[in-house]
Amino acid sequence: MDDRRTSLQGGVVELAPIWDGLDAIDIGILVWSPDRVLIYINEGFHRGCGLPVALGMQYDEYVAAVAQSHEWVLPSAPDDWAQETIRDFGVINEADYQFATGNIMHVAQRPAAQGGMVVTFTDVTAVKRNERELREAKEAAEATDEAKSRFLRAANHDLRQPLASLKILIYNCLREQDEEQRSEILHAMGVAASIMEDLLGALLQIGQLDAGRIQPRITSFQLSDLFDRLRIQFRHQAQEKGLRLRFVTPNKTVSTDRALLERILSNFVANAIRFTEVGSVLIGCRKEGRGLRIEVVDTGRGIKEEDCDRVFQEFYRVADDNRAQKKGLGLGLNIVMRLAELLEHPIRLRSKVGKGSIFSVWIPLGNIWHSENGLAAEITEAVAGEFAGTPVLLVEDDEILRESMAQLLRRWGIDVHSAANEENALRLVADGAEPELIIADYNLQTRTGLDVINAIRKAAGEDTPAIVVTADAEPKVINGIREAGVPVLIKPVSPPRLRVLMHNLLFEPDVHRQTGS
Amino acid sequence: MKGDTSPVPIGSMVPLTGPAAADGAEFRNGMILACEELNARGGLLGRPIQPIFADTCRQSAKEVVAAARWLIEKHKVHAIVNGYNIGAQNSEYEPIADAGIIYVHANTLLQHHDTVMSNPDRYFGCFMADPADYWYGPGFIKFISWLRDSGQWTPNSDRLAIISGSTPYSIVISNAMANAAASFGWRVCFGPKIVQTPTSKWRDVIEEVRATNPAVLANTHFYAGDLAHFQKQFVEKPMDCLVYLQYGAVHRTFTDIAQEASNGVIVSSIIGLLRDEMGKRFEARYKARFGDGSTPTIGCQSYGNMHHYAIGAAMAGGSGAPGDFEQNRKVAFALKGMIYRTVHGTIRYHPDWQAVVPYPVMTHDPSLGMPHIFYQIQDHREPLSMIAPEPYNTERFVLPPWMNKRSAKPKPALVNSRGLTDF
Repeated sequence: MDDRRTSLQGGVVELAPIWDGLDAIDIGILVWSPDRVLIYINEGFHRGCGLPVALGMQYDEYVAAVAQSHEWVLPSAPDDWAQETIRDFGVINEADYQFATGNIMHVAQRPAAQGGMVVTFTDVTAVKRNERELREAKEAAEATDEAKSRFLRAANHDLRQPLASLKILIYNCLREQDEEQRSEILHAMGVAASIMEDLLGALLQIGQLDAGRIQPRITSFQLSDLFDRLRIQFRHQAQEKGLRLRFVTPNKTVSTDRALLERILSNFVANAIRFTEVGSVLIGCRKEGRGLRIEVVDTGRGIKEEDCDRVFQEFYRVADDNRAQKKGLGLGLNIVMRLAELLEHPIRLRSKVGKGSIFSVWIPLGNIWHSENGLAAEITEAVAGEFAGTPVLLVEDDEILRESMAQLLRRWGIDVHSAANEENALRLVADGAEPELIIADYNLQTRTGLDVINAIRKAAGEDTPAIVVTADAEPKVINGIREAGVPVLIKPVSPPRLRVLMHNLLFEPDVHRQTGS
Repeated sequence: MKGDTSPVPIGSMVPLTGPAAADGAEFRNGMILACEELNARGGLLGRPIQPIFADTCRQSAKEVVAAARWLIEKHKVHAIVNGYNIGAQNSEYEPIADAGIIYVHANTLLQHHDTVMSNPDRYFGCFMADPADYWYGPGFIKFISWLRDSGQWTPNSDRLAIISGSTPYSIVISNAMANAAASFGWRVCFGPKIVQTPTSKWRDVIEEVRATNPAVLANTHFYAGDLAHFQKQFVEKPMDCLVYLQYGAVHRTFTDIAQEASNGVIVSSIIGLLRDEMGKRFEARYKARFGDGSTPTIGCQSYGNMHHYAIGAAMAGGSGAPGDFEQNRKVAFALKGMIYRTVHGTIRYHPDWQAVVPYPVMTHDPSLGMPHIFYQIQDHREPLSMIAPEPYNTERFVLPPWMNKRSAKPKPALVNSRGLTDF
């Protein structure tokens, strides 16, 4: 080759620096003459490909060497590939080849103006990896999006149950005149609302279930607590349909994730009620190995044998022509199946068309000693203190003091009836408060605490024990109260002193009389 | 003070006279043995520990407060360490908090939690070294449920009858039992009925209970003598039910009075000597020191508390006299932070309550809680059988002699029309 060429400016330049420049780049370059002889190899080719090529080589020879080298992963049999490649000399062509080292090489050939051909070799390994990572990220994003949509559909499906209960309860509550019935309904409404709250929490977890982010929290607990919650959740719905809902409550401790098991069972029960028109739904257990199989038995329409597996598939809904009633999206049992798989609790379905179905889940037994106490886990004096439930009448005209004292007494579980003056106190007694103890401020606006105590005793019982509290530390005043036979505490009242005095008055009146404390 | 070898005065409020004098004597023994052992090893950082005892007699608030004042004002005690005083209702916390000293007791009172939490800064030094009375309730319910569920006993129903004494302790336990019952499949069919105690006349209330046909009968009064009369009157015409008697029935006095009628009775203690190697060695030392008639299972309470206090004070760099709040806060910090395994299990103070928590009812880890021990009197001439909880139990439950033998073995499960099992 002539090492001189005319530059753009028309002058003559040395070509050696240009060859050096071509050697410096990472792309490999081979140049073939029109008679298929290799006339140029740059350094980039040697660094990147390491194929046995030499200047002066025939193209056929080169292709055969590559085909037999095993350095490239070829798309077809080596001989076929070689024939094809030789045939395509001088044709515009490009392809990616994986090398034995794992790198991916983009090989491109272009015809030269005078009939020869240039082939370039570009290492695209990093580019391909980035492409793959981008693709995976996109797929993950799409999956998350899908999970979100699924979550929304599931939320719609699962919140419908307690919402339906709540609507019925609100309707009943509006019409209910009887105070006791009303408060019972309100309690059930509270339970339904808390179930919805729990469900939302569980659904959030289910969204994460797809992402594999759910970690079950295994604890031991009493199955009876869970059955109670289910009973409250579904009682009204069953009643509405005229179905008999029965729980055979086991005295067993089980070991599983309480919230996830509740999700499984409430799905079973909701389905049983939905697909049963006449008869009953029964929830009970069988011993099976080292665990229990919880069964939900209904007298509904049943499921055809060939459908028994399909009901657990996502969005599967039983074909139903007769019913216009809107139903769920067919996610419930799919969620059940995935939760059961996560918890490793086998689920089973037995069914007979026209007779009914039995959905069941197996759970391992737990250690009763480790059983959580459920709602009673909070240990407080309000629940089990010595004064729990004791009715006390508190008379104090200062609103702030009255409220803080009432708060203290309530913390001890006392049933506090508070009044600002004698009139209010007497009204409370007339309305049915039966105080076992009176606590009265001494300096009430128009009366003394002693006057008020005497008036209350006339209405509530002459021997009702009483305490006077006063900010007036005047010995004359204090002695006056003591002489009237009523113990007195100086403000600010020390809670332990108040407690001791109350204890003595309520439980050890003899001790109190002896010591006169 | 470096090189100080003057004695460290430690107070102990114990009923040396009055109805609980037998327990008081053991609490005193426990303190004496602990101080002797500590002093033999060099005392508290070189200072001998000197126990000073104050008699709390009938354990009323007035008597206990007077005892605390006497110890603080006259003897300048650095701490008060003892067993229990029923009836003081935390009123002794006031002079102790005013003096800023350490107070470790086994009063078994739920209100300790409330008092400490109402003002943690003021009551920083008050520690309850046994779980609150409340825990007897859920602990008992779990125990009977465990007997039922593990097939050791098949109750004839889910009915539970509860008789309560008139002390707050008994009332709290009864309430706690009643509260926990339903969660574990029990129905309270009688009570909690509060009977004015002390009393030895139980026939009327037993007849009332009989009408409800319970599977379990619990009496939460705790005087050994009263309970012995209860049990004797019960076996005159027994019912087909388990009988549980509160704490007092662990005492020798109970079996002395009830004799054969005691056999089969279940009793529990939220604090008691364990029968492992450590417990047995303690028992041998205790009896060698105080005679075969002494009761190490009661003396162990003050014994363990004293050792724990001494280590805590040593960690803190010494004890503090009344008024030395700064030093005593350091001691309190050490006591709170140190999990101590003594002869009756683990002393670990709950960070907020400053009270020990029970195993297995509250903590599932035996290294973090004090075992709530269930005993059965299987032969009134022999020591009580320790039947729960694992891993401390040494015997198994046997069916009481008055009960229907049929229920010894699990009955075939009841089967309803759909074949589901009623457990």
